[in-house]
Amino acid sequence: MRCAAAIFAGLALFVAPLAAAQTADGDANVTGNVANHCVLGAPTPAAVNLGQISTTSGPRAGRLASIANQTVNLPNSFCNFGGTRVSVSSSAMVADDTSPVQAGFARAVNFTSTVTTWGSPNASATTAALADGASPSANGDGGVQATPNLSTLSLVLSSFAAPGDGFLVAGPYEGTVTITLGPE
Amino acid sequence: MLARLVGATVLACAAMAAPAAAQNVNGTVDITGSVGERCEFTVDNALIPLGELSIAGSGLTAGQLDTAAVNGEFATLTGWCNGTSATMTVEAFPIENVDFVAAPPTGFDRVVNYTATAVASTGSANDGSAAGGAGTPSTVGVFSSNITVTLSASSTPNSGKLIAGDYEGSVDVTLSPAI
Repeated sequence: MRCAAAIFAGLALFVAPLAAAQTADGDANVTGNVANHCVLGAPTPAAVNLGQISTTSGPRAGRLASIANQTVNLPNSFCNFGGTRVSVSSSAMVADDTSPVQAGFARAVNFTSTVTTWGSPNASATTAALADGASPSANGDGGVQATPNLSTLSLVLSSFAAPGDGFLVAGPYEGTVTITLGPE
Repeated sequence: MLARLVGATVLACAAMAAPAAAQNVNGTVDITGSVGERCEFTVDNALIPLGELSIAGSGLTAGQLDTAAVNGEFATLTGWCNGTSATMTVEAFPIENVDFVAAPPTGFDRVVNYTATAVASTGSANDGSAAGGAGTPSTVGVFSSNITVTLSASSTPNSGKLIAGDYEGSVDVTLSPAI
């Protein structure tokens, strides 16, 4: 009986160091977050100056000249989440001269604004101001971009036309295009 | 008569043996024990909350990793080892977007890599999260102290913009007694 006890004691002494040699683990958990973020790159050029927009001689003298498409790029535009779209809001070019417009004249120039390289279809808006400059605004939404996206947005101004192809009232003309990038 | 003589002889022998029985004798009980080599954490879990990870604003770097949000951030564990050959090992796991798990579109990232360094009173160990597996074990020996885990050298695989969402990673610190 004593012999048996001595054997057990010996086993206990032998096993104890092995069990105690286990490793110990600690964890430092790391958390963070990135908020939804959309950024429009700086427009290049920042402004479009069409210069003289009326024809100065020939049969169309005094009427809108042919104006080539104008392109404004917005590089490094992005949204870091899906489900976004581009919207464009434009206002026709209207003369600063607010005096009443005579028949056959116009003090507005309409145009189409199209923004490409985001969702499909492209965002587009065509202004339809009246000859007296009334109702100059137009809006359009592009298709939804399902995933995060980084691209150079390209705004193209095209199809310039005066209401009724009237003679343009003299003076400075100003219009605006606003591009909005954000959740659908 | 003969019987009396024998009895006398026995008594005489007894009288002769008495001095030998008075000598001291010693017995010894040996006492042994052992202390197994051990390592333990008394604080085995901590959190490093990094907050917003991307650069704000609208500049060229907007949306990319804000390394200042990661580098230098730390948490403190507490542990000890009682063996002179004990080692400490660190394994850093990338900080990943847990909401967007697909491959990131061109120009974006969903992973933040970094180096994690654990510093105990007797030594330190580190590991980079970009490479799989743990770092090289470092001998820490006998110690009982805080173990400070600090993040550094953060980066993203493509230097892209970070996809929105919640991000999670971890740093495992292992204390190993010599076996």
